[in-house]
Amino acid sequence: MADASVTITLDGVDIEVDAGQRLIEAAREAGTYIPRFCYDKRMEPVGLCRMCLVEVEFPSGMALVASCTTLVRDGMVVDTRSEIVTKAQEGVIEFLLINHPLDCSICDKGGECPLQDQAFSYGPGESRYVEEKRRFVKPIPISDLILLDRERCILCGLCTRFSDDISGDPLIEFKGRGNRVEVITFPDEPYASYFSGNTVQLCPVGALTAKPYRFKARPWDLDAVESVSFVDSVHSRTSIQASAGKVVRIYGVDIDATNQGWLSDKDRFIYEHLASPERVTTPLIRDEAGFSEATWEEAIGLVADQLAEYKGSEVAGLGGARSTNEDAYAFGKFLRTVVVTPHLDAQLDDGLSAEFAAAVTPRATIGDIDEAATILLWGADLKEEFPVLYLRVRRAVTQLGAKLVVIHPRRTGLDDVATHRLTYRVGSGAEMLGWLKSGRKKDFKGPRAALSEGPVVALVGRTGLAEDPRLAEAVAAFARDAAGAKILPLVRRGNVFGALDMGLAPGLLPGRVAVTSEEDREALESLWGPLPTGPGKGATEILEGLTDGSIRSLLLNGADPVRDHPSPRLASAALEAAEFVVAFDMFLSDSAVHADVVLPVAGLGEVEGTATNLEGRVQKVNPIVAAPGSARPVWSILDDLAVALGAQLGGGSAEMITKEIARVAPAYGDVSWHRLLPGTEGIVVPGSQGTQPLRYIPADPGLGVSDAALTLHAGRVLYDDGVMIRHSPGIAGLAPEAHVYLHPVDAEALSVIEGDRAVVGVDGEATLTVVIDPTLAKGTIYVPFNQRASAALGAVGEVAVAPVESGGS
Amino acid sequence: MSWLDDILGPWRGFLVTFRQMFRPNVTTQYPEQKRVKPERFHGRHVLNRYPDGMEKCIGCELCAGVCPADCIYVRGADNPDDDPVSPGERYGFVYEINMLRCIFCGLCVEACPTEAITMTHLFELSVTDRDDAMFTKADLLVERDGTPNHNAPAGPLIDLDELKLADGWMRATSSAGRAEYEGVVQWSESAGKSQESTVESPQGDSDS
Repeated sequence: MADASVTITLDGVDIEVDAGQRLIEAAREAGTYIPRFCYDKRMEPVGLCRMCLVEVEFPSGMALVASCTTLVRDGMVVDTRSEIVTKAQEGVIEFLLINHPLDCSICDKGGECPLQDQAFSYGPGESRYVEEKRRFVKPIPISDLILLDRERCILCGLCTRFSDDISGDPLIEFKGRGNRVEVITFPDEPYASYFSGNTVQLCPVGALTAKPYRFKARPWDLDAVESVSFVDSVHSRTSIQASAGKVVRIYGVDIDATNQGWLSDKDRFIYEHLASPERVTTPLIRDEAGFSEATWEEAIGLVADQLAEYKGSEVAGLGGARSTNEDAYAFGKFLRTVVVTPHLDAQLDDGLSAEFAAAVTPRATIGDIDEAATILLWGADLKEEFPVLYLRVRRAVTQLGAKLVVIHPRRTGLDDVATHRLTYRVGSGAEMLGWLKSGRKKDFKGPRAALSEGPVVALVGRTGLAEDPRLAEAVAAFARDAAGAKILPLVRRGNVFGALDMGLAPGLLPGRVAVTSEEDREALESLWGPLPTGPGKGATEILEGLTDGSIRSLLLNGADPVRDHPSPRLASAALEAAEFVVAFDMFLSDSAVHADVVLPVAGLGEVEGTATNLEGRVQKVNPIVAAPGSARPVWSILDDLAVALGAQLGGGSAEMITKEIARVAPAYGDVSWHRLLPGTEGIVVPGSQGTQPLRYIPADPGLGVSDAALTLHAGRVLYDDGVMIRHSPGIAGLAPEAHVYLHPVDAEALSVIEGDRAVVGVDGEATLTVVIDPTLAKGTIYVPFNQRASAALGAVGEVAVAPVESGGS
Repeated sequence: MSWLDDILGPWRGFLVTFRQMFRPNVTTQYPEQKRVKPERFHGRHVLNRYPDGMEKCIGCELCAGVCPADCIYVRGADNPDDDPVSPGERYGFVYEINMLRCIFCGLCVEACPTEAITMTHLFELSVTDRDDAMFTKADLLVERDGTPNHNAPAGPLIDLDELKLADGWMRATSSAGRAEYEGVVQWSESAGKSQESTVESPQGDSDS
C-alpha cells in the first residue's frame, strides 16, 4: 500500500498522487497552494484554523472539508477555487481578523506574516466588524526568552502541539472556552523549554516573539544566508540573518537529513556573542602590564621569532574543533609541515578516541534513526548535549514506533519515552555491558530482546567526562553485532568531526588516514613534504609535557583546556609552565588569558568554509557579516605565519583550501563548494568519489570495574559557563546553578540532607549545595560540568564529598 | 510689400520684448523676498508629536522600506514602561535621513501609519559639511510644544518659519486609503497647523 498511487481530480485536472497522503500535501506537490495556518507537515494535523477548506465531491454533493485532515482517495474530486471555497476563505479571514489587533507596524512578524499575506491574497479586503476588539495585557513574558501577545494569537495550536508532541515539554496550553480561549502557560511555571524558540518561528502571527530579536529589525531589511550551527556536532542547518552588519536572528532551515527545521534555543540565540564588546578585535601581546594591542605585523613577527627558537617537537597544538574544516586543515598542515611537530589534538580528552570518532564502521546517519527498529543510547543525555538529535530520537520513538534503550548514570531527557532505561554507576560500565550482553539478569531481558530486533542504531558516546572513553568502544563493539546495526559516535563540540577528519589528532592524517599506515603516509608526504616522525601526543600528554618541560610552546586554536579538559588543575599548571602560548581566539577565555600572544579570529557567521557533522556530512558554512576589528579566519593568519617562518602553506582562500583538501584527504575527494549549495543536504563522506583508508572496527578493550566508594558523573548541561554563552546576554542567565546530586542512600551515608552544603573534591574542590536525586545510580554523584560554581572541580581523580559543618546548627 | 517687411521685420521680433515691459514683474528678490509655496510643497521632513508630547514615530521602518533613495535609517526599540516615548510597545530609537540622497518624493510620508513623518516648506538645506546633511532624530523631531527644529541657526538663507508652514497633512491618500476620506484626520490631530483646512466630513460611506 505504501507505494500505491491514486488518481484524484484537482480543479478539473486528473493527477496521480501517492495513496495515504493528506489532500493539502497532494495539492502542494501538484503545484496548487492551499492556504493554511495550523498545518505543518512535521506535526499531526488538527484542522483548527479552517483556512484550508476545499470542496470535495461526496455522494450527496459537494461539501467543504479541511484539506489538512483529509486523506486522498481514488476518484476524489476536489475544487480549491470554487465560489463557495473563496467565500469560506474570506469568511475565515474575516473571523480571524475580528480580534486581531492589526498592529502590524510594530509587530515583529509584520512583513513576513502568514496572516498578513493570506489576508491580502484570500481575504475579503474589509471587515464588517466595528465593535471593540478583545483586549489582553500585552505582551507578557512566558519565559526568559519568549514573550506572548494573546491579542495577536489566532489559536492555530502550532506552538502547543510543538511543545507537547515534538519537544515533549507540555508547558503551554489552551485555556478557556469560546471567545475566551487563550494560549497561556501554567501558573508559576514559565515556558522554560530548550526548544521554545521554535514556537516563535512556527507562529503564523506575531503572538510569540523572541526577546533577543524583539524590535531589532524588520523582515525587509534582513539579509539571510544558509549556514550550520556549531553549538553541537549535529550541525543543524540555519538561516543566519543580519541587519545593518549585525547578526540579529537565526532561523532553522528544514533539511530532512539533519534538523528538519528545528533548533535548540542555544543554536538560535548564541549569535549574540558575535557582537559582544568583549570580543578580541586586534592582536594582543603580553607585556609586564598585561596585554597591549599590537599590529598584525608585530604579532606575527613575534610568534614567528619565538617558534623559530624551538625544535618542532617542543611545540604542540590544541583545538580546532570550533572552526571550519579549512581552518582545521590549515592548522594541522602548519603544525606538521611548518613547525614539524606530531603533537596536536582537536579534542581535550573530553570526547572519544579519535580513531573511533572519525572512522567507526558501520556508521549510521541521522536519517537512519527514522528507520531503526531499536535505538540504543549509551552516551550523553541527548537533550542536554545534542538537543536537535533528541528531537529526532523522540520522534522515532513516539511517532515511528522505534524501541529505545537508554543507559545512563541518571535520568535523561528521553526517559519518559524510553522503552527500557537502565542506570549504572560510573566506573562499572563494563559490568553493566556484560549483563546486557548475556541478558540473563531480570532487568536486562527486555533490552537484550529489543536489541535483537533490527535494524539497530547505536548512539554511543561518553556519558560524562568522568567516564572512561574506552567504554564507548566496548559498547560499540557489542552493538555492532546486533541485527543491521549502525553506530553513530557522539562527540559534542562544534566541528570536532571535521577537525578529526582534517587530521587534528596525534594518530590521524587528513581524510581518515592512520598515521601508522606507511602507504597512506607516503602518499601525503608526496603532497605535503616530509612529515614529523615519532608518536604524537594527545591533549593530556601535551599538557603533561608542558608541565615537565618536554614541550615548551603551545598553540591554542579556540581551545579552552582550563574549562574543558577533565583536569583543570593540570591545564592551568601546563599553561603557567609553558614558555610561549599563542591563542587563536574570539575572547580572552580562561585559557587565552595565559597566552603571550592572542590573535583575534573570525567567528561563525563571519567565515566561509565547510564543516563535517557527527555522521560525516559535509555542509557549507557561509558568512554574512564582517568580523569586527581586524579579526581574521585562522587559515589566513596561518598563511602569514608560515611566510614569516620562511615556508608556504598554500592557503590563499577558503575555497582553494577546500580544493586542496579534496586532493589530499582521501575521504573528501567528493567535496566541492558547488555541490554544497543552499537547500541541498550536503555530502556524507566518504562519498562516491572518496575512500576511507582507516576503517575502525570497535573492539572491546576489556575494561575493569572501579571499586571506589563514590564515582563522579560529570555530565554537561545545555547552558553551561562556556565562553560563547557567557557573552550572549539572552541565554547567559539561563545557565543553572551547579549542585551536587546524591542518591538518597549515599546522602544518608554521608549524613547530609537536601539543601546542605558539601565540599566536593575531585581534581579540584568546590562547595556546592546538596540535591537528593533518586534517579541516580547508587554510588555515583552527579555534578554538572563547566558551570561557574563547579569549574574547578574537573572530572578526574578520587571523589570525596564532605558536608560543610554549618556554624549555627 | 517687400520694402515694408524690410523696415518692420527687425522690429517685429521686439514685439514680445515690448509687450513684457508692461507686464508685472515675476522675479522675487530671494532671499530678501520669499514666495508663498503650494500647500503640498515637498520640503524638509519633520517628526511630529501628539498633543500630549508623545512621539508619533513607532519605529516601524515602513518609511525606510519604501524610500526609493534608501536615505532613511530607522531602528526600533522596546518602549520603556515607566517613561514611554511613544504610545505602544515600540518607538523609533534611531531616526536618520540623509538629505544628500533624499529626492523629496514624499513616499515616506505616504507610508507612515501614524503621520509621524511629514514634509514642511523648508527647502533651504545647504550645508558646509557633508555630515550636517545627515539629519538625526534630534534635528527632525519637533519640540514638545510642536515647534519644529533645524540643525542650523536661522540666517539670511535659512528661514525657520518655513518649517511651521506644514503639518501632518501632506498625504496623497488618506490613512484609510479611500478617496472620500481625503482631508479627514482619522488618526489624531497633527502637530502643525492647518487643522481648519483638513476637517471636513466624508462624503458618506462607500459600503452603504
